[in-house]
Amino acid sequence: MILSLLFFTFSFVFYVVTTLLYLGHWAFRKKWLGQTATAMAYIAVFSTTMILIMRAAESGHAPFSNLYESMVLFVWATNVGYLVLEYKHRQRVIGVFVMAIESLAMLSAALLPYKFKSVEPLNPALQNKWHWMADILRHVGLEKYAIGWLDFHVFTTFIGYGAFAISFGLGIMYLVKGYFEDRGRRNAFVDIFPDTSMLDELSYRAIAWGFPFLSTGIISGAIWADYAWGTYWSWDPKETWSLITWLIYAAYLHARVTRGWRGKRAAYLAVAGFLAVIFLYWGVSFILPGLHAYA
Amino acid sequence: MARENGGRSWLGAAGSNVWYFFNSLKLTISVLISLAVVSILGTVIEQNKSAGHYAGVLGAKWAKVVMLLHVNNLFHSWWYTALLLALAANIVVCTFERFPPKWKSLLNHKQEKFDPRIIEKFAHNRSVSVSVDAATANARVGRVFKKMGFNVITSNDGGDHFFYAWKGALSRLGSDLTHVSLLLILAGSIIGSYAGYKDYRFINVGDTIEVPNAGFKLRLDNFWIDQYDTGQVKQYNSLVTVIDGGKEALTKQIWVNEPLAYKGIRFYQSDYGMAWDKIDTAYIAPVKRKTGDTGAPVPVKWGTEEKLPGTRYSVKVTGYLSDFAYDEKTNSVGSLTPEPNNPAVRIEIYNAGRLISAPWIFLKYPGIFPAIPADQDVDIAFTNYKPTLYSGLSVNKDPGTNIVWAGAIVMGVGFIFAFFMYHRRVWVHVKETGGRAEVRIGGMINKNTLLFEKELCEIAEYVEKEGKKT
Repeated sequence: MILSLLFFTFSFVFYVVTTLLYLGHWAFRKKWLGQTATAMAYIAVFSTTMILIMRAAESGHAPFSNLYESMVLFVWATNVGYLVLEYKHRQRVIGVFVMAIESLAMLSAALLPYKFKSVEPLNPALQNKWHWMADILRHVGLEKYAIGWLDFHVFTTFIGYGAFAISFGLGIMYLVKGYFEDRGRRNAFVDIFPDTSMLDELSYRAIAWGFPFLSTGIISGAIWADYAWGTYWSWDPKETWSLITWLIYAAYLHARVTRGWRGKRAAYLAVAGFLAVIFLYWGVSFILPGLHAYA
Repeated sequence: MARENGGRSWLGAAGSNVWYFFNSLKLTISVLISLAVVSILGTVIEQNKSAGHYAGVLGAKWAKVVMLLHVNNLFHSWWYTALLLALAANIVVCTFERFPPKWKSLLNHKQEKFDPRIIEKFAHNRSVSVSVDAATANARVGRVFKKMGFNVITSNDGGDHFFYAWKGALSRLGSDLTHVSLLLILAGSIIGSYAGYKDYRFINVGDTIEVPNAGFKLRLDNFWIDQYDTGQVKQYNSLVTVIDGGKEALTKQIWVNEPLAYKGIRFYQSDYGMAWDKIDTAYIAPVKRKTGDTGAPVPVKWGTEEKLPGTRYSVKVTGYLSDFAYDEKTNSVGSLTPEPNNPAVRIEIYNAGRLISAPWIFLKYPGIFPAIPADQDVDIAFTNYKPTLYSGLSVNKDPGTNIVWAGAIVMGVGFIFAFFMYHRRVWVHVKETGGRAEVRIGGMINKNTLLFEKELCEIAEYVEKEGKKT
């Protein structure tokens, strides 16, 4: 518990500092601030990776089994996705929005009650391993780290969530920029945003990653449910909300190729989609009853 | 489409209007958003509760609305199904309308000759002027396309050289495959709900059950629970044997997440408990009636005869009830609950091979009735027992599942095509004027315009600077 907690504390600080650096870069336009922010983002992603590795070492299974671990995975996926985006498109102002989401995510993970954080042995329903993988890992004595449909389900789903978080940030930026452009107003902070067509395209790129991963997550979850409960779909609130999220993003993808729906309306759908993700992730776990004991 | 309706019957016209209605992306967006919004209702309002429950939570007026609109079973209501079918019709019509022209114009499209002026009309275009002859420029264009993995067709018309290059045409099939996969998943779920069943069976260890609608039997050989060192449950396990045609066909250990599948029927570990009508072993002890001294208990396995040391008798356990009760009206015995509140065993007592008595004796009330009324010296007590466990198995048949998985695979392939491949088409015109080659490059991509801009840049730079840089 100790090392992963230590890395968690470090990471939390790193994310807050990274967010502040990106904010500083946005406000003061100093190149060194931006470069430091990027460097800090890399350090943060390394530290987040270490949380997951330490967690796996401490629990003796893949680190995807409770709300706390999945939050860390979410932050990790979002950060990796953002760094790829920054590397390809060099738009550091996006970092302000993405890193702010990540800092909030770290904060909420830190505030989770102990029972959502503790390292627990896997209960019977969570023990789903691919036999072929266990067979291979047995030769090197790491059989217990074999993953199965469940881990695959969590992993792909959270890559999707990470991509949706980025598209949410971009969608907000699009709407803000659009708001100023529509009224012909200028604002130094908004002018530095990439232009709306690029924000729209990047938001689409993020969703074009997130959507197949969410779908893979839903399907692998269905495969697991089929193994564990004998039905691949039972309209449990978590399943239904994953479908709701999927439907919103499916609507987004069609909106982008439909006259009158691209641009602003699509951006609203991208924002709505991530709000649905947040509810799917936290709201359903804490408010609605269902089969998903953890996220 | 409307103008074709002139000479047709009203049926044809109506059909055409319906077709037109479903051939709409706006309908797609509306249906997707409607499904999302009404699904929220199905998670906020608890499903499959009684009318009374809704009246208690929402008040009588709203409870009535809930029942009237089938919100209590929203996901299986006729109107939710209708929305899903509307989506399916939307997919079918759009595929019929859009796929054939797409196939013709995009996937099989090879434009050998074109008017060079179209290049400037593309949103993405570049012009470079290089101080080399046309042949060199042509070679460079050919090489850069080859390097970037494009397919190319070329043609010449006097001094005009034309290139038409394309890459990633499969990307266009992605959306069609995804749409077809949704139809497959929908079809699989419909087949499953009509041709499948979900049942539930308790089996005591050692017992055999007839599997519903299957023509074979299942025997539970053993049930046990694995624990972690901390005492938490690690896994529930059942060892089961399929008996088909009187023969043991297959033995398999099943646990949560590891079902048994046999002839399309699957068995899932889902519950367990102690049997209320059977035990594994009873501990039976001889008792001296005069002093009340109880001798050492003998373990007697269910159904086998054991000698009681120090007596003339041997005993056999033939019945067990976890919560014994006697019903005077019917003169019969039974168990009030499945809980071991009043465990009792029925034993058969033999003397020299002859059955002399078959009483019920009680764990909690030893000696309440003498086990052998004729014997004044010896009584028999039930001192302890080892329970028989039962395993609760879900028995499922869902012939639609494989269709759903097939749909999932098609969807995966569709996503790879749709999201990770891009269809680029590039038109290049090369013409030599005044010792310089004028190269015009333009084209389209179906998505990821940012990538395409970079690629066009790369092509232009290659044509311009090859040999000088890198």
